[in-house]
Amino acid sequence: MADYREAPLATRPKTLDPAEYFNLSLNQRRAEEERAGLRAQLKRQYQMQLNNPHRKELIEDPALTRWVYARTNPYNHFRATKKTSLLGGLFGVVPLFVLYYVLKTDRVWMR
Amino acid sequence: MHLQVGCNPPTKSQRRKKRREEKKTLDFPKLSPDACVFHCSMSPQQLNMAAVGFRNWARALSKGKQPGFSALFSQVRAASGPSKGMLPGPYPQTPEERAAAAKKYNMRVEDYEPIPDNGEGYGDYPQLPDRSQHERDPWYSWDHPDLRRNWGEPIHWDFDMFIRNRVDTSPSPVAWHTMCKHLFGFVGFMLLMFYLGEKFPSYQPVAPKQYPYNNLHLERGEDPEKQPEEVKHFNI
Repeated sequence: MADYREAPLATRPKTLDPAEYFNLSLNQRRAEEERAGLRAQLKRQYQMQLNNPHRKELIEDPALTRWVYARTNPYNHFRATKKTSLLGGLFGVVPLFVLYYVLKTDRVWMR
Repeated sequence: MHLQVGCNPPTKSQRRKKRREEKKTLDFPKLSPDACVFHCSMSPQQLNMAAVGFRNWARALSKGKQPGFSALFSQVRAASGPSKGMLPGPYPQTPEERAAAAKKYNMRVEDYEPIPDNGEGYGDYPQLPDRSQHERDPWYSWDHPDLRRNWGEPIHWDFDMFIRNRVDTSPSPVAWHTMCKHLFGFVGFMLLMFYLGEKFPSYQPVAPKQYPYNNLHLERGEDPEKQPEEVKHFNI
């Protein structure tokens, strides 16, 4: 274990990180335990639904629902700041003028 | 997911999980006529809901509290699907809101860090590390092995970019800046050399082709009697 070298294109797995074994404070351990607890609860919920013989419907993933909702409704929390106005102008307004100018001047009128 | 009636009395963690489950996996309830109205962009999950939604829309438009077209854009949603508290909301201002948001996203309060509020519309969505799914353990038994993700785990904002067919953030064999230097150095050098080659061409000396027999006088069909002009190609 001491001379483990990870594969060229992979990050070192968490369980083989030396920092996990040495200098682990109690707070870090408690944090890891809490995270493992959350993970275990979610796993359990999923398995209960998956293996329920009376289940007829699809298993709905609320994290997915939240992600989709967040991605499709950004305008609820949109605010016009300097950065957002600049980006909006740059991508939405400037191309109109630029394209008009370029197409107009580049066009050769064939007879 | 139905209520589990008639089993052993549930333990505390099971009750907590069941409460969480029931909130998320409700049977789609039949909409009663006096339920709330629709949500504009909500996709209909049952065929009758579309009809009911249309009916409610027409009713809202005709005799809703808000007059005219503003009734169409009301913020009321249908009763099926997740409750308002389970969906993403605005950026949390107070520690209580933070704790509630952390609980909503199934994260620890200490781990939960919302994306900084700069007006770009993230709301209270958590900022997760920008690591692609390539970096996750391929040997762990994920609930969704192709996505290397467990059910209920909070999804990164750019998750669709980080799937295993797309952007890969795993460490590269050589450092990134070294790779950049090598690539752009090579491409830049080649461009420079081609430009210089255009500017200062260098080739073997050439001249127009010279033909013998007085510039092929007879072969070109000219008069054999006529004396051809002498063409001198070189001086020795």
